[in-house]
Order: sequence, then C-alpha cells, then structure tokens
Amino acid sequence: MNSQVDEARAQDLERRIRAYEELERRAHWPGALSVRDVVALCLLTLVMVAGAYLLGGQP
Amino acid sequence: MSPSREEEFRLSAERGDTPLLPTERVWGFWGFAYANSALAVATWVFLIGGATALFVGPLQGIAAIIIGNIIGVVLAASSTCVPCGKYGVEQFTFLRSMFGINGSRLVHILSVVILTMGWLAVLGLMCGRALDNLQTLVQQRPADNNDWLVTAGALLAITLAALVAMRGPDMIRRLSAVIAPSLILIMLALMYFISQRYSLSELLAMPPLQPPFGDQRINFMIAVEINIAAGFSWWPYIGNLSRLCSNQRTAFWPNLVGIFGAASLGEIVSLFAASTLGSSDPTAWMRLAGGLGFGVIALSFLALANLTGMVNILYTAVIGLRQLAGERLRRVPWGLLIGLFCVIPVAIVLCFPGIYDGFFIFLVWTSALNSALAGIGIADYFFLRQQRLNLRHLYAAQARSPLRFCKGFNPIALLALAAGFAIYVVVFNPQTLANTTFFTFATASLPSCLLAGLVHYGLSRVLATRLGWGSYPQGNERTIEAAGLGAKD
Repeated sequence: MNSQVDEARAQDLERRIRAYEELERRAHWPGALSVRDVVALCLLTLVMVAGAYLLGGQP
Repeated sequence: MSPSREEEFRLSAERGDTPLLPTERVWGFWGFAYANSALAVATWVFLIGGATALFVGPLQGIAAIIIGNIIGVVLAASSTCVPCGKYGVEQFTFLRSMFGINGSRLVHILSVVILTMGWLAVLGLMCGRALDNLQTLVQQRPADNNDWLVTAGALLAITLAALVAMRGPDMIRRLSAVIAPSLILIMLALMYFISQRYSLSELLAMPPLQPPFGDQRINFMIAVEINIAAGFSWWPYIGNLSRLCSNQRTAFWPNLVGIFGAASLGEIVSLFAASTLGSSDPTAWMRLAGGLGFGVIALSFLALANLTGMVNILYTAVIGLRQLAGERLRRVPWGLLIGLFCVIPVAIVLCFPGIYDGFFIFLVWTSALNSALAGIGIADYFFLRQQRLNLRHLYAAQARSPLRFCKGFNPIALLALAAGFAIYVVVFNPQTLANTTFFTFATASLPSCLLAGLVHYGLSRVLATRLGWGSYPQGNERTIEAAGLGAKD
C-alpha cells in the first residue's frame, strides 16, 4: 500500500518537474521578469535612495 | 489518478513538498499585495519606527526608513522571490542548490528558528507592557513599569500563543483577518491626535530621543541600518509566500507595495508618535496619545495584535522545522513540539527582559546573517546558475543528488556566510554600536551582502567545479543546461 502511494507521489513529482522542463525549453517564460523590469527596479531604487537622502538625510 | 489523490498531492505541493505548478498558484498582483501589506502592518512596525526615533528626528528618520527599507526589501526579494516565484519551489528546498540538503537545514535553524524565538520573546514582552500600561491607565495611576506584571503578561502571552497554535491554521486565519485593519485604524487615530497638537514644520523639526553619538552622520547611518535590517528580516519568509503567486513578476513587484510601502508608512507614523510623545515604547504612546478611551482600546488591540503575530510566526516556524527535520521529529506530538519550542522564548523573557528596550540590537544582529544570505543567494542564482535551476537535483535524495556537496553541506557557501557575518560585525558592531568610518557611507549590510556574494561566487568558480560540487554549469555546459538537456543526471 505504502509503496503504491510512494510510487504515485514520485509520478506526481515527475509530472511537476516535466512541466517546468517544458517551460524551460520555450523561448519565452510567461510572466518572467524582463530587462525592462530590472531597469525599472534599479531606477526606482536609485530615485528612492538619492531622493530621500537629498530631501531629508543630510545632517 | 483519483480526485482525492490529486487533491492530496496539490495540498502536498502547497505545503512545500513538491513544486507548485503555475496553474495551482492562488495570488495575482493585488492578492499578493494585500497579503503582503497585511503581514507588514503588524506591531513590529511600531517597534522599528520607535527605534528609528531614538537616533534621528522625523525628517532624517523618514529618509532613513525609505532608504533602509528599499535596499533591504529589494535585495531580500531578489534572492528569494525571483527563483521561488519562477519555479514554485519551497524556499529552503531552493536553498539546497547553494547550501546543500543539510546546509539548508542549518540555515533554517539559524534564520527562522532563532529569529522566531527572539521575536516571540520581544512580542510577548510588548504584550506584557501593554497589559501593564492598561492596568495603570484604568486605575489612573502614573506608569510604573511593574516588572513582575510585565513578565507575567509576557509569559501569559507566550502560553496563549502556544495554545492557539496547537489549535491549527483556521483559528489563526480568523484572528489575522481583523488585526491588520485594526492596526491601520490605530495608526490613523495616532496621526489624527498628533496633527491636532503639532504643525508639519514643528513635527519635522523634532529632535531625536537618545542619539548615542555627537556626529549626526553616524546616528543617521545607524537609523538606516536598522531599517535595512527591517527589510532584510523578511528574507526567511517571503520566498514561501511568493511561490503562491501566478508568475515571477507577480511574485516580485507586490513586495514594493507591502513590505516596503505599507511597512514604511506604518514606521513613519510610529516615528512621529515616538518623537512627539517622547518614548520609543509603543505601549507608552497608546497611553499618552488620546486619553483614557483611546488608550484602553488601543492597548487592548495592541496586546491582541501581538498575540496574533506570535501565533503566526510560531506556527510557521514549527511547521517548517517539522518539514526539515524528517520522520523522527514528525512523530513527536504537535502540542509537545509547540511547547518545547516555547521553552527558549520563556527563558529569554525571564533572563533577558532587556531585549524589548534594546529590540533594535536584536533586529540588527539578524541583519548580519540575512544580508550575507541574500548576497549568497544572488551570486548563486543569478551569476553561477544563470537563473536556471535543475529541479531534479533539488528533489533527489541526498545520496544521489549532485547537491550533496560535502556530507550535505556546501563548505563554500558556509564560508561565504561566515565572511559576510564577520565583515558586518567588523564594520558595525550591533551590540556596542562601535563602527568604522567606512560604515558612515557604506552601511554594514551592503558590504556584508557584497562580500558574501563575492566569496561564494569566486570560490565556487575555482573549487566547486574541480570538486564536482553543486553541478554548476560551466562554459558550453551552460547552454546545454539552459536547454534542459542535462537535466536528468
């Protein structure tokens, strides 16, 4: 009984891993962060840090 | 496969045993942003805002809160939410790729178990202080910080938290649903009372409560460091939340709404309250801000909110511990395990009650660890593995896994962790606040994150490939691995 459950569990894990391997083979991963996201994040961080420092952080 | 078996496997994936498929994930952008904000707006924002007010006035404090939180949250989320949101893997399973199977267990103990024990003691003591203030407020006596009552209240809070955690997640969900909105109402009321007494220019010109150094640059940088630590303190938790998001982008950006945006707003209100009411202790503000009626309601909610926070972190930590520790610990009854977990927080309350007033010291110590962990995560996932994980390796048994490294530990990652931790303490000692000139323009978390990442990257490139550790892609193999062709070894 236990071995049946273990086997089913192993098959389920295999199915999940295969699903991601399929995604990995595609040229485009749906919803992945792009270069635009990274640039936007860098700019946002820079503006927040520099803006906050210039407006209030200077002793 | 039968529907009940299918449901069982879905639940098992949700608990972290296997990767969640994109179709099984429950949160879109706003769903995660709300959950994230509800998590952020808890009693810890009062403590962090209050601690910031010790070092700087409100104007510099706002700057420190924004700078510290954005840096901490972006680095913590990049090293956890990006991979976990892409592959739907549990965070400490993902960490096997850099620390090994046993190494990730060690990191869990260092970053989740110890952190949770400390937080349980701090929040328990805050509960005790709230009850003490409530008692003196109702009796219309001046606050006396009755140590006996505070300790008894803290122990009662830890006991209640353990009893609720033993009852399971349904009760926790019901309690949590009312707490975040109640705390937002308390913050709005605090802002209302403050704005009735002070103009904005008066508010911004308030002095810091207890600046430890004559040099304002050092005080400002300590305030920034406390807030970086606040941002990094999400590192052990957000990876596991982000895996429930529909895709990688949804797993990343809402962190800037919740644990950055909502938390920063809450901390700014707390900063104003601390600066105007002359105390960094949130339980004292509730007593002083709006008279008897507000004080009684706010202190009661504060005690309840602490209790809910304690139950949440206790339940999460013990669940994680059970997952990682294997069969032997899974056989221990749930109630006994919760009870045993609370022994150390009880000891901290009894032996080190000063942890509450020196709360920021505890928080900053955790940053020495979390910043290095984030640096290692970024170096490993983005630069060594080129953002591609081999799930077969992550889920293989240790004996067969290329991620077994050395007896299940990756010595390189552990050395990088030690190096990051050491540079942090050299640049800025959280216990004594002793600091170097370098600290006043670089902080301590950033050098720690950078050094840990560089050590991990450098030694992995030089040694790991020669020793056959970690199955890192190299040269042409990167392309093969990227195409998924080398996935089945």
